[in-house]
Amino acid sequence: MASNQATKTEGTEHEAAPILQQMCIFASVLFVSSLISPLFPKSFPVPTPVIGLALMYVLLASHIIKLYQVEKMADFLISLIAFLFVPSGIQMANSLNVFTDDGALTGVMLIVTIILATIILLVVISYTTAGFMAISRKVFHKSTDVQ
Amino acid sequence: MTWVNFFGNALDPKVGGIAFFGIFLSLAVFLIGQYLFKISNGFFLFQPLFVGMVLGIFILWLLAKWFGVSLPTFYMSAYKPGGDILFWFLNPATIAFAIPLYRRNDVVKKFWLEIVLSLIVGMVISLFVIYYVSKGLGLNNKMIASMLPQAATTAIAMPISGATGGIPAVTAMACIINAVLIYALADVLIKVFRLNSDPVGAGLGLGTAGHTVGSAKAVQLGSIQGAMASIAVVVISIVVDIVVPPFAHMMGLF
Repeated sequence: MASNQATKTEGTEHEAAPILQQMCIFASVLFVSSLISPLFPKSFPVPTPVIGLALMYVLLASHIIKLYQVEKMADFLISLIAFLFVPSGIQMANSLNVFTDDGALTGVMLIVTIILATIILLVVISYTTAGFMAISRKVFHKSTDVQ
Repeated sequence: MTWVNFFGNALDPKVGGIAFFGIFLSLAVFLIGQYLFKISNGFFLFQPLFVGMVLGIFILWLLAKWFGVSLPTFYMSAYKPGGDILFWFLNPATIAFAIPLYRRNDVVKKFWLEIVLSLIVGMVISLFVIYYVSKGLGLNNKMIASMLPQAATTAIAMPISGATGGIPAVTAMACIINAVLIYALADVLIKVFRLNSDPVGAGLGLGTAGHTVGSAKAVQLGSIQGAMASIAVVVISIVVDIVVPPFAHMMGLF
């Protein structure tokens, strides 16, 4: 909890920055990222928002941008994520034919595979992490307590 | 076609898309979903995102039938202009995850090696499991190749899928279904597989399987989960970039 309090005090030192300034920081990070993204080769695509996330983190970690300058906008956008995904979901109306092109059975199997793959990714990644944490704890005697 | 034009006509480049209908429909179906979720005391099939998606497609299908055009045509002309505007906001919303990540920089600094190793090793294990599961379910090589890169964000998964002999549209569909499923089922899955004892693992898993929507879910579960899911979104995309093409090649998919 110590670090939570630390970030709280860091946040209360300043009032939240005006919302237009926060938007401008987001817009500039996105713009710079969009200039970097095409520099990656076609076989190794790195899209703008992924670069943007990394860039924003680096700017925060190097204290060039302070939390109070972006916090409010970020919390607002994250609270909207599920809604912002609705157009992606409805976009499936455009390509429902990929499930029926190779026959109904293939379509059903495809959906079953996607459902299983989602669960596989969640469980395998989580258990692998638990495994590495156990190695750190038992072999390297590193404390893995986090709060 | 005049009634279709009433909903905006993106097919005619001179007219351009009219966005009002798409934005209105997205908000309306999502709010209906939220209402159903509330009155059913959180029944998982009534997750707002899932309801919004199914109801939205159903309404478009009904209207397309009413106007006597195909569903994709009606989607392109009536819904897409508005949908695209909302879709754009996923860009700033994705970079917003740098903030929950930085808030728990202490955890990142302490465990960065474990995080990166877990994501690389976990991804390779997942690829083997997904490959053999899809093979067991009788999918052809094209479909299997489409299933492999789905852990990455759509903008990475689609080109990788195409380059390894898959169908990008199927991969994009998989990415969307991942997110909708994780948002609806995360609580159940965490309970069933007892993932809560390790917040770092749960966070990395949610970010990998559910993309940014999984991260939004993880932020609700706790600050560590949220931070770990945010880092997973970035790192796993790069891991997929590096690991999936050689894996697909090794398995003889292309």
